[in-house]
Amino acid sequence: MENERKNTEALNLICEDPWGALPESRQEREKIAGRNRSFFSDVWFRFRRKPTALAGLAVILILLIFALFGPYFTKYSYSDQNLDLVNIPPYLSVFEAEDGSCYFYITQSLKVVVVNKDGTLGRQLTRLREDEKQKMIFFDYNGEEIAIFYGMQPYVIANPVARTVMPRAKVWNRSYVLGTDTLGRDILTRLMYGTRVSLLVAFIAVIVNMVIGIVYGGISGYAGGAVDNIMMRIVDIISTIPLTLYVILIMVLLGSGLHSIIIAIGTVYWVDMARVVRGQVLTLKEQEFVVASKTIGSPTKTILTQHLIPNAMGPILVTVTMLIPSAIFMEAFLGYLGIGLQPPLASLGTMCNDATENLKSCPHQLFIPALVICLIMFAFNFVGDGLRDALDPKLKK
Amino acid sequence: MVKYFVKRFLIMLAALFLIALITFVIMHAVPGSPFTTDKKVSPEIEAALEAKYHLDDPLPVQFIDYVKGLLHGDFGPSYKYTGKTVNDFIYNGFPVSAKLGGITILFVLLTAIPMGIVAAIKNGKWQDMTVMAVATIGVTIPSFVIASLLIYVFAYRLNWLPTFGLDSWKGYVLPVIALGGYSMSYLARLMRSSLLEVMGQDYIRTARAKGLSETKVILKHAMRNALIPIVTVLGPTVAGLLTGSFVIEKIFAIPGLGVHFVNSVSQRDYTTIMGVTIFYATFLLAMVFLVDVFYCLIDPRIKFE
Repeated sequence: MENERKNTEALNLICEDPWGALPESRQEREKIAGRNRSFFSDVWFRFRRKPTALAGLAVILILLIFALFGPYFTKYSYSDQNLDLVNIPPYLSVFEAEDGSCYFYITQSLKVVVVNKDGTLGRQLTRLREDEKQKMIFFDYNGEEIAIFYGMQPYVIANPVARTVMPRAKVWNRSYVLGTDTLGRDILTRLMYGTRVSLLVAFIAVIVNMVIGIVYGGISGYAGGAVDNIMMRIVDIISTIPLTLYVILIMVLLGSGLHSIIIAIGTVYWVDMARVVRGQVLTLKEQEFVVASKTIGSPTKTILTQHLIPNAMGPILVTVTMLIPSAIFMEAFLGYLGIGLQPPLASLGTMCNDATENLKSCPHQLFIPALVICLIMFAFNFVGDGLRDALDPKLKK
Repeated sequence: MVKYFVKRFLIMLAALFLIALITFVIMHAVPGSPFTTDKKVSPEIEAALEAKYHLDDPLPVQFIDYVKGLLHGDFGPSYKYTGKTVNDFIYNGFPVSAKLGGITILFVLLTAIPMGIVAAIKNGKWQDMTVMAVATIGVTIPSFVIASLLIYVFAYRLNWLPTFGLDSWKGYVLPVIALGGYSMSYLARLMRSSLLEVMGQDYIRTARAKGLSETKVILKHAMRNALIPIVTVLGPTVAGLLTGSFVIEKIFAIPGLGVHFVNSVSQRDYTTIMGVTIFYATFLLAMVFLVDVFYCLIDPRIKFE
């Protein structure tokens, strides 16, 4: 309404005298007709044009919700063990009972578990005896005898009296949607906690890196001269040290645990950030607005925090999003080497590590956490790419 | 140029000294003596052990002794395996790791460069898309996931390749792919972008205008310059392959240096951790330095301050 009124007013003015001067108005002089776009809405405008970046952002949000709120919706905790139900896959091949009331599932340790019709897992049947001649192990099911026949591969459940194999079927596991691990812990719940740990490690590492990197790079770039020279030589030396080795050494010193992973990653990964910030500050500090700020007597701290760092935010954000995957990767790597978190705590890396031993029989135990790691890596890489293009359109080819 | 190399060399030496110092400090800051075990050792025996390994000297003296040993190539004894020295581990483990690493680098170069060239020539076509998809997957998926996936598919399901052992060429296939996957993808992407950039330059147009065949333009004119960025990242790539081999050697049960390192970390065999860390670091720094020298020699345009 307001705009329309203004437009008609302007039109009227022009119509009165097309070549005459417009009445002078101080307020309107520097008005920008288009909608005012802030820096972030500008970035968002360019960011959302990239489908991969948007997909990455969506995946990160979903994983965040999954990791933060997921544990409130499961029946199990990450450390609950159920040794009766170990190594159960998410998709079960079962045998139907003759009365059709339930299914039987043969576990890897040759026990029989009752699976209800709806896919939930029931009790374990009591083992009666083994008959090696007939190649059968007998179990008691409501007073009747059923048997595992191991004369053929894969083993089947048979009716020992009629000597018939029970009809096969496939059901999804409803008790443990993603199955259980070697100690009978729910993989879905552990996955939520693992994702939480991975994301937590990533975010804390990022915050630590941002703080150290920005302060170090900012001081080095702004001070210049000998200070800059010394500080950058230190960075040069640190960057030649193979970081993986040092993260491992720090882990040895501090012992395994979440805090040591965070400290280890935080202490060595700020080097890139310091370089980026220094480079930005070096070019920015020669510009007029900094000179102006100096002229009106702003202290160094104000110039750094109010003028230089905000202007360097673009490259800083890009460096950060590229750093997140490497922090997550490092955590998974440490977990996989067995020097990450201590059991029963779960992280994606330790879950993969635990699962390698029985990769052959239970591939789901490894591939589910591995898939989540890959998802996180993909998502952050795509977001990082998108953000780089959005923050610095000049870079785009 | 000589001045630049001298400066780089000095930085390298400083870094090595720092590495030795940090490693030494960290290892001595770990609580407990290396002989702390489950069994209770009488104080006399402990004192005798400490005297034998000169652990009763003041720390600076120990450090100087250690550095003196390092300069003679002596990494000291292993605290966990009596009678074994860290040098034994390195002599036994390093050739295995180096062979695997060498084959992997060869594999990486022989696959990544053609992949990058194809992607750049067929820019925007399906070949480009395929290469970029493979490269993106390779960069984002951790090597241990790739390794497990390969083992599951090719060893367990298809039964084509062994899961461990390096007796025949077959044993090398899976470790090399798993180890080189990341570097291959990274180099392929780099090769593609660098060739694309070079192909847009004037001298390529000149070469085409002279009537040269496209093969000649690409292989003789464009490749020379496009390969320079590849050479630059070769040093860090070697470093990545070597440290990446910790996981790969563990998965494929390869008796290389990486496995010794990981084992010594989990067993808290401090001298071995120190020795292997310093050995690795020296090797990596030397590789990076050599690659840098080589890089400066092949590209006369590079100026040194």
